[in-house]
Amino acid sequence: MAGILLSHTEKVYITHGVKNEYRSDGRSNIDYRPMELETDVVSHASGSARLRLANTDILVGVKTEIDVPKPDKPGLGKIEFFVDCSANATPEFEGRGGEQLANSISNIMLRAYQSAQAFNLKQLCIFEGKQCWKLYIDILILECGGNLCDAVSLAVKAALFNTRIPFVKAALMDGGNVDLQLSDDPFDSKWLDVGSAPLLVTLCRIGEKCVVDPTAEEESCSLVSLIVGVTGNPKYYNDYEDEEELPAFEAKCSVISMHGPGSVSPQNLRDAINQGIIAAVCLDEALGKTLFRERRDTEQFKRHSYGFLK
Amino acid sequence: MPLDYKRFNGPEDSVSYKRFTADYLKSYDELHSELIDETGHRKDGRAMDEARPMYVRGNFVSQAKGSSYIEMRGTKVVCSVFDPREIVHQNEFSTVGLLFCEVKFAPFACKRQRQSHVPDSEEKALSVALRKAVGPTVCCQLFANFQIDIFVYIIESDGSCLAAAITAAGLALANAAVPMFDVVTASSVAIIGDKIFIDPTEDEEHLAMISPDTNTNHGVITMARLNGLMQIADFRQIGSLDIECILKVTDILEQECQKVFPKIQKTLVGYVKNGIMEQKRLSEEGKAREAKLKDKMLEWRSSIVNNSV
Amino acid sequence: MNENDINMTGHVSIRLASERVNHCVASSNDTPRFYTPGEVISGMQDFMRGHGTYVEDNCLKSSVAGVMQKVNKLICVRPLKSRYVGEIGDVVVGRVLEVQQRRWKVETNSRLDSILQLSSVNLPGGELRRRSAEDEQTMRKHLKEGDLISAEVQSVFADGSLSLHTRSLKYGKLSQGVLVKVFPSLIRRRKNHFHNLPCGVSVIIGNNGFIWLSPRLEEATIDENPDETKNNELQPVDSIDRETLARLKNCIAALVASKMMLDDSSIMFAYEESLKYEDVKELLDPEAMLDVAFMTQHRLNNLMDE
Repeated sequence: MAGILLSHTEKVYITHGVKNEYRSDGRSNIDYRPMELETDVVSHASGSARLRLANTDILVGVKTEIDVPKPDKPGLGKIEFFVDCSANATPEFEGRGGEQLANSISNIMLRAYQSAQAFNLKQLCIFEGKQCWKLYIDILILECGGNLCDAVSLAVKAALFNTRIPFVKAALMDGGNVDLQLSDDPFDSKWLDVGSAPLLVTLCRIGEKCVVDPTAEEESCSLVSLIVGVTGNPKYYNDYEDEEELPAFEAKCSVISMHGPGSVSPQNLRDAINQGIIAAVCLDEALGKTLFRERRDTEQFKRHSYGFLK
Repeated sequence: MPLDYKRFNGPEDSVSYKRFTADYLKSYDELHSELIDETGHRKDGRAMDEARPMYVRGNFVSQAKGSSYIEMRGTKVVCSVFDPREIVHQNEFSTVGLLFCEVKFAPFACKRQRQSHVPDSEEKALSVALRKAVGPTVCCQLFANFQIDIFVYIIESDGSCLAAAITAAGLALANAAVPMFDVVTASSVAIIGDKIFIDPTEDEEHLAMISPDTNTNHGVITMARLNGLMQIADFRQIGSLDIECILKVTDILEQECQKVFPKIQKTLVGYVKNGIMEQKRLSEEGKAREAKLKDKMLEWRSSIVNNSV
Repeated sequence: MNENDINMTGHVSIRLASERVNHCVASSNDTPRFYTPGEVISGMQDFMRGHGTYVEDNCLKSSVAGVMQKVNKLICVRPLKSRYVGEIGDVVVGRVLEVQQRRWKVETNSRLDSILQLSSVNLPGGELRRRSAEDEQTMRKHLKEGDLISAEVQSVFADGSLSLHTRSLKYGKLSQGVLVKVFPSLIRRRKNHFHNLPCGVSVIIGNNGFIWLSPRLEEATIDENPDETKNNELQPVDSIDRETLARLKNCIAALVASKMMLDDSSIMFAYEESLKYEDVKELLDPEAMLDVAFMTQHRLNNLMDE
């Protein structure tokens, strides 16, 4: 994405602000702007979520289909990410303009979800070596106001949290072919276990420091950014009876990648990874609490669905 | 995926026969225990912190402006760099030059499956990573509205492909006399549990990507470094690692990149030296030729004078 | 990053769509009459056609969706979201897009890019003289791409594009500060658009919806030699000023979210009301934004009643 034009003195002002840990809207270097979330917004998807972060608007739908597992991974399901940069977001995405951005986002999401410690594909297995669930995660960028990766990862995790997979009632072997019987009842299904799904944090290096959740102005002051994917804490996404009994949780990096034409010093890199993990843990907790609140409201029939109105 | 009908596309669902060999059917634990022998050495006899010997040369492709070849036992990489050319299909003038990078596997490069000729997502990701790694070192402001093409061909792959590709590209760029801020070198490690494999082979990388059932660390990290400026040009991690491990590996990778640096420098200096020697030789030869010609002229003239007399 | 920061936790707030805040603060119920494009405003001929209207079949029709404004016989329809329609004498804030032959192209949020002629700027030195070829060659030294300027609309060309001038000491290139972009229709027209707010910040409320906030300059620095001012320009802004600027920026965002008109008094009221939120970043939360806007509206109403 081409950055917006800024004068030299504006850049100086932003850079000094980052140095003092006081950005032009009063946030410190690890603060996010307020976000808004709603799940279950698309009726024909198994799970969906819409997330707004300032001017960035992401819609994610999850479709589940049945597939044959890969021969070298018979016990695992499949997951695939597709990103669509709609020209609604900015005219730059018109035609094939958004393709590069879309590829880089889907690529980093795929890499972040690759480890079993981030997302366990075993839960998508139906019949080892024969049948498995395949999750198609379609990410639609409705509006683009900077910090896409973070917003996409939050929306994907919310959509997966909202995804139901039907129970398989019976599987019959019929001369080597598998015959599945699924229930007709839409509520006869299980939620996915997404507690450990990773969240991405983009850290923009401005001057000698890094900021999270950069505005478009801040993005254009930065030559290089680091994306850190950090696994989530299942505690926030499950209703455990006794929290003390849980194994000690440690956030782990599931992906790190650099973008932009610049380079960083080794000390910068270490600080940025640390900062990214701190930010991701905070994000994870906030997301888990919000999703749980919504699920509780839904169970008590108190929830009002807003969708795209208002 | 669009099919190229001009080529023979074998049946889509063919699988490598190796899948049915005993080697393939080994469990994770078996593979894991095989990586290291009792003396703490790896399958190919290296110590854990020992990189493979590296052969480096430039001027590999005579048609290209600059080129290089790197061989690290089973990993063989060719890179060529061509003259800057004007960016086609661009509406706006860009004040900085562009780098176009393409990484391609030979169809027979990989052990596990045949590589299709259509660029797959791994090749695309490698191309993006390569561009990120060499981007900070090229003086792009000198090539306004021009682009430099960098092509990397992986002839054989036995782990650490990206690191080899980045080092090769850095050398090829310098070999092509593209203005650069610094020499870029890269190195990678694989991590399985508490063991750190420097310069991993294909088998080690493969096992580091499979997650074990326990909650132990596993993953691969590749780092590209600008050695003179002590800056990190690219850092790529995949797998699942805790922070202490990443910070520790960062230090190791920095040292490893530093180790490759003199090799590249030496190679480059060698070519410059050779170039100067060649120039000297040519100019001396030229002088000798001229002197001979002069002698001939004198001889001829005197013969004319003699004849006329 | 030092040790303290590692222990700090980030501030993250994720709310549900069902908890969304309604930013409406309109106190009275008298909603004005709205017109939609193509709707007949008046059939009579004794009205003058203003912005946002056109004449067809002897009728005056609206070309945008908005409210009607009538000044004597002139009828305009003003939409909420519109590009800026310039008038001579307006104060604008703009960004230089391009350096061209003897002129600069400036983005001012109007339909077409505005023009700043080389002949309508004060060149360094201050004296009035003919523009030489040398001046033409050093135009980029004076203003380059991306620079922000404050200027006045000198004239409007036939196609609606604006010609600007900066031939006064108060106009010219802007230094460090924050630019806030709002809808031009939210700017209340005043005699003066340059304000030195009591909180130590000077603000330029451009008629085009660009608002420039900057720390107030010391009077002494103005007439020093240009090299020193150049250095001053790049000095870091101190943290008190920075906080005030951030607070004002968030206050303006709060007022805009509630679609309130902006002028120096509403901005200052919002600033004073916002002081009860100690941390400036609290003002990013929608509840706080609504609260500030609501209290400001309340004070403005009181002011009107008196």
